[in-house]
Amino acid sequence: MNRPTGTDDGSTRDGPRLPRRGQGQLESQVLTVLRSAGGPATAGWVQEHLDGDLAYTTVITILSRLYAKKAVTRTRQGRSYAWTPASDEAGLAALRMRRVLDGEDDREAVLARFVSALSPGDEARLRALLSRAAEDPDDGSGDGRPGSAAPEG
Amino acid sequence: MGVFVYLPLVLPLTALPMARLAEQHLHPRSATRLLAAVGSTLALCSTLCLALLMVVGTAQLPGNPLPDGWSDPEVRAAVPYEEKAGLIAIGVLAAVVTAWCSMLLRHARTRIRAARALPPSAGDGFAGGLTLVPSPHPYAYALPGRRGRDGRIVVSTAMMDCLDAGERRALVAHERAHLAGRHHRYLLVTQLAARANPFLLPLRTAVAYSTERWADEEAAYEVGSRRAVATAVATAALVSHRPPGPAVLPAFATAGPVPRRVAALLDPAPPAGLWPPASTHLALAAVTATVGTAASALSSLNATVTLVGILHAATPL
Repeated sequence: MNRPTGTDDGSTRDGPRLPRRGQGQLESQVLTVLRSAGGPATAGWVQEHLDGDLAYTTVITILSRLYAKKAVTRTRQGRSYAWTPASDEAGLAALRMRRVLDGEDDREAVLARFVSALSPGDEARLRALLSRAAEDPDDGSGDGRPGSAAPEG
Repeated sequence: MGVFVYLPLVLPLTALPMARLAEQHLHPRSATRLLAAVGSTLALCSTLCLALLMVVGTAQLPGNPLPDGWSDPEVRAAVPYEEKAGLIAIGVLAAVVTAWCSMLLRHARTRIRAARALPPSAGDGFAGGLTLVPSPHPYAYALPGRRGRDGRIVVSTAMMDCLDAGERRALVAHERAHLAGRHHRYLLVTQLAARANPFLLPLRTAVAYSTERWADEEAAYEVGSRRAVATAVATAALVSHRPPGPAVLPAFATAGPVPRRVAALLDPAPPAGLWPPASTHLALAAVTATVGTAASALSSLNATVTLVGILHAATPL
C-alpha cells in the first residue's frame, strides 16, 4: 500500500510525480518547505516557496491542520502568524501512527502487535522468566546465528 | 426439523474444551488452523439456524415479503411454526449482520489508516518491508498488504532501542512470520465467528494467542535461538506495557498471554504432528469438538434441506 510520493526535494525520496496529491503529501511538502526556512515563516512565504499552484487559503488550511496535529507551532506576528516546524516528516508519521494505535482495541486487534497488554502479575512473572533465561545454558547464541543448531519448530 | 434446528445455536459450547487445550498442547500452527476451521463452521451453522428460524417463524405474519405459499397450512403442518422464536431470530440476525459489517468496516479503516500513516516509500528507514518510525512509544506490528504482497513491518525506534541485535532479528522474524502466514485472516475469521455466536468468544482468544505463538516458533526457527525470541518478547512487553494498578503477586492472578509465550519459548519446541495427541484430555476435547461441529453441521444441513424441500413444493413457481 505504498503511495507514490509527490515530494520533490530530491533528498531522500523517489517515485513518480503525480498530478493529484493527497493530503498527507501536501502536509509533508509544506513541512519540508517550512523546515527549509530555518526559522519562523509566514504562510505567504510558504506559498511562494511551494512548488505548485496552491492557493493561499489552502496553505493556511494545511498549516492549521499541522498545528492541530502539533506538527508545527505558531506565534502571532503582526496581523498573521509565523509558523515553525515542530517535528519533521518522520515525526509526523509517528504522530499519525500513534493515533491509529491508540484507537486500536487490544482484544479485537486488527494489527497483530508484537506484545499485547499485560495482566496484573505478569510483570513479576516476566522478570522471573527473564532471569531464568539468563541462567539457562544458551541454546543457539544470543546473536542468533541461523544454522544447523536451529531447533526444529 | 423439531428441536434440532436450535442445536447449532448451543453446539459451539462443545468447542470450548478444545480451545482451552489446543493452545496448550498442540503446535500453534495446527491449533490456529483447527480452531479457525471449527469456529467458522460453527458460526456459519449458527447463523444459518437463525435464518431458518426467521423464515419459519415469520412466514405467517401479515405483510411479510415471503411468497404466499410459504404460509400454506400444509407448510405449517410440516414445519413447526414458532412465531416468538421467529421474531427473536429477526432481531438477533440483524444484530449479527450489523456486527459483521461494523467489524469489517473497522478492520478496513484501521488498515488503511495505518498504511497512510506510514511514510510513503523508500526513505532511509525502509528496507525490505521494514519501516522504522521514530517514536518514543515502543511498538511493533505487521501491517498486511494486498494479496500477500507489500506487507510492511512497522517498528518504533523506542522498541528497537530496548532490544539487542539478536532480539531485533527475532522481532523482525516474528512479524515476517505473521505476514508470510497471513495470520490476520485467521484472526478476522474468528473475530467474525465470535460476533455470530458469543459462545465462540474463547475461540477468538485462543486463535489470537496461537497466531502469536506460531509466529514465535517461526522466528525461533529463523533466528536459531528460542532464547532470543523469548527475551525479545519479555523485554518488549516490560517496556511497552505497564499493567495498571499496583503490582500483584503472580500467585493471585492468572498468567496473561505474554508470560505464557515466553515460558513456552523457554521450553523445547512443541511437536509439529497432530497425531498422536499429546494427552488424553486433548483427545477427548478433540472428539467432543468434532462431534459437536459435525452435529451442528448435520442438523443445520438437515433443517435447511427439509425446509427448502417443503417450501419448494409449496411455492407455486
